[in-house]
Amino acid sequence: MAEKTTKVDEQKQVIYHPDFFKIPEDGGAPYLVASKCRNCGQLWFPNLRACPECWSDAFDDAPMERAGKLYVYTISNVPQPGLKAPLAFGYVDFPNGIRVGAQIDVPPEQMKDIRIGMDLQVEAGVIREDKDGVKTVSYVFRPVAASKGGK
Amino acid sequence: MRDVYIIGVGMTDYYYRKSPMSDVSLGQVAVYNALKDAGIKNKQVQSVYTGEMPGLSGSICFGQQVAITLGMGGVPMMNVESACSSSALAVNLAAKDVAAGVTDISMAVGVQNISAHRTSGTAFSPDLNNPEAMQGLTMPGLYSMRARRYMENFGATSEDIALICVKNRRHAMNNPRSQFHDPLTVEQVVNARSISEPLTLLMSCPNVDAGAAVIVATKEKAMQLGTKLIRILASEVTSGIFTNGFRDMTWMEITARGAKEAYEIAGIGPEDIDMVECHDAFAINEFLYSEAMGFCGHGEGVEFLRSGGSDYGGKVVFSPRGGLLSCGHPTGASGAAQIVEMTWQLRNEAGAMQVPDCKTAMTHVTGGGVYGTNNSVCTINILSS
Ligand SMILES: [Zn+2]
Repeated sequence: MAEKTTKVDEQKQVIYHPDFFKIPEDGGAPYLVASKCRNCGQLWFPNLRACPECWSDAFDDAPMERAGKLYVYTISNVPQPGLKAPLAFGYVDFPNGIRVGAQIDVPPEQMKDIRIGMDLQVEAGVIREDKDGVKTVSYVFRPVAASKGGK
Repeated sequence: MRDVYIIGVGMTDYYYRKSPMSDVSLGQVAVYNALKDAGIKNKQVQSVYTGEMPGLSGSICFGQQVAITLGMGGVPMMNVESACSSSALAVNLAAKDVAAGVTDISMAVGVQNISAHRTSGTAFSPDLNNPEAMQGLTMPGLYSMRARRYMENFGATSEDIALICVKNRRHAMNNPRSQFHDPLTVEQVVNARSISEPLTLLMSCPNVDAGAAVIVATKEKAMQLGTKLIRILASEVTSGIFTNGFRDMTWMEITARGAKEAYEIAGIGPEDIDMVECHDAFAINEFLYSEAMGFCGHGEGVEFLRSGGSDYGGKVVFSPRGGLLSCGHPTGASGAAQIVEMTWQLRNEAGAMQVPDCKTAMTHVTGGGVYGTNNSVCTINILSS
């Protein structure tokens, strides 16, 4: 992997990470990209230097479906330094067999409605902001119904 | 390979909120006590391994800072880090020197002075090269999700989880080095403030400061010194295996694998173990680990606890010193501290904490959370008297 973040504009924003999180320029819905080993067919997320299974270094991008099911979640009331509480985080199981962990981006008053097994989908959201106001935009999960119409 | 014996152990108290001494002093007190316990002098130690987390303290050449002004310089000294396993790894390396015939006497040191370097009210998290950490995942968050999934799969309740805290606090009340001597009730634990749902403050280990040291040697040296023979049957270290798939978060794969390997090396099984100091950084862990170590079946941890299986009088005593939950967790020092306290148990010197007829004992400490793994590291030591 190259650098972890890339500057995208003058608005003090970085995308994490353009190699595996795509925000189409035509305004289409954002999505995650897994990487499929050309030799053994194993899927990985995010993209890796070489296949941990067979050591091939040839991969093809494998765009992922946007929706999956919530395997488990937590609501952190004591977050990392610099992040705001409460912060909901969960693991979503996608149809391609990949599990991805990310913030569940709902307002605090809706966090009580989060349930194991619910359908969530990938959207773009601000996941952290440093002390100079630089925002990191990345994949977040939102309930499928609430996401209609996109962001 | 030669058999390896523990000839001396020493430690400080587990200081909650504020250590009365510096990082280096915590280490020096532990080393001094261990040398005194062994009945040897500083210059008899032929190699020194130190476990401490520079990522928390910013230290450089920490083990040398501890040992050189104690007059121990001139021998190989190496500093090792793998999160909470750091000083358990140091013990492993010291034991390997003796086993391989590189040294006859080696020392492992573990230190962490968390209060001197850390802002309270923040949570430990994996570093930001980890995509899940970028998203805000913390260590309490990770174990909270294991707890929630365990509750979902097996019908365990917050009250069940709280019983672990109540038991380990009862044990710590007999530990003069713990600063947590007030009994806990299930209500107090469940109603404490939430750290990361469903885990509360009292279901999470406190940050404490401590130093611990373990001296290992050949059987010949141990017999010359006349110490009670405590042999290391197995010192097993393994690392996490990366996967992106739908793994079961209630099954502690790295611990199950590590325990299986450790039992094989030791030539024993869980039925032979009298006590365990496990990595109970969060209360759910004792259920997860008692299952992964084979003391009960997957999903049977609550029943094992409620039936008294993991307490005095049961099959195996889990955390007779009070565990991390009620001694606190001086991260880099915990692996060595577990071995120090386990050695006292095997020597029948554990006072009111003594596990009756304690012959074989095990310590377990994992560490870190590289994404896509169960844990980054798992270290298991099995000792026998
Ligand atoms: Zn492959």
